[in-house]
Amino acid sequence: MDSRVLTITSGKGGVGKTTTTANLGTALAMQGKKVAVVDSDIGLRNLDAVLGLENRIVYDLVDVVEGQCRLRQALIKDKRLPELYLLPAAQTRDKNAINSIQMEQLCQQLRQEFDFVLIDSPAGIEQGFRNAIVGADEIIIVANPEMASVRDADRIIGLVEAAGKPEPRLVLNRLRPEMVRRGDMMDVADVIEVLSIELIGIVPEDEMIIVAINKGEPIVYEKRSRAGSAYINAAQRIIGKEVPLEEVEEAPTLMERLRRFVGIGPSMTEKRVRS
Amino acid sequence: MGIFDFMTGRKKPTPGEVAKERLKVVLAHDRLKVNPELLEQIKTDLLAVISRRLEVEEQHVQVIIARDDRWDKLHADVPIKRQKISFEWDPPAYTPAANALRGDKIRVEVERLEDE
Repeated sequence: MDSRVLTITSGKGGVGKTTTTANLGTALAMQGKKVAVVDSDIGLRNLDAVLGLENRIVYDLVDVVEGQCRLRQALIKDKRLPELYLLPAAQTRDKNAINSIQMEQLCQQLRQEFDFVLIDSPAGIEQGFRNAIVGADEIIIVANPEMASVRDADRIIGLVEAAGKPEPRLVLNRLRPEMVRRGDMMDVADVIEVLSIELIGIVPEDEMIIVAINKGEPIVYEKRSRAGSAYINAAQRIIGKEVPLEEVEEAPTLMERLRRFVGIGPSMTEKRVRS
Repeated sequence: MGIFDFMTGRKKPTPGEVAKERLKVVLAHDRLKVNPELLEQIKTDLLAVISRRLEVEEQHVQVIIARDDRWDKLHADVPIKRQKISFEWDPPAYTPAANALRGDKIRVEVERLEDE
């Protein structure tokens, strides 16, 4: 049984862990994998809503761990993909409702049933985070190209290594190509250099993500969305397919080229993102 | 580089570059668990050693941790006070220019300038 347990974590909140979990899970299921996405953010349940499954919850992760129900009773089948399941977080409990041993046992149980188990970690570096990574084979860190997020990601890398897990990989989320082009945002190469981490996905900022979450439909269904195709590519890389990393930067406009030439725009030193 | 940059020879870092440089410093601190007090102690120790040999601009001494591709590095920036060095010079006899000066000792004053 070559089942893989991946934890999606970030340290900082609000960088897109839950969106990433939902979309990687959906994309993997679209590839024909049997996938469970697990919301380990106990007390702050959200993965259900991103997947549009919030109305179907009967039992949750804590119920399973405490033996109130069987695992299969708590797993919610996705609306569209028959091979995608959600294990929701408890909403009325807190992060100390379960311990690391219980979480590890839960991961073992899930391995029996699924090709991929994706665990959505809570923000922070406390017990909830430790529970989320304890049973994982691989860690995926989500970060945005801004200081606080990258700094927290670095902390997480240290903690993951200290926990004896293999080197985590990075999904760089909410990259804004036009800001990178102007030199107002760190580019992919900058973040990779600072963190010395392997990149597994580059997801551009995309308004359609908010629309998708509003509708409860993962963005990977949206063919026109660049974020959606970025998640599909990241999922392919997780499976082990060779997909070249996206070229994020758009070509400069004529006006920008002109301004750069006379030296009043951002410098022309090659800032193309290829990493 | 645009032609104005080329003429002035300077390039202002972009906000993205500033963020990257700031991150390098802050991550080096985070990783080494170096706190400002420790750096202050190192600075005091360094000053004690260096000022035995050189006069140092104590207010302008900077000790920081920075990070490049391979290493976390301790950078100490220690400006040296401008100082006048004077000495007596007895020109050697065998240089033709010195022949004209034979017998006289020349007083030489050098002002050492540090780039600021």
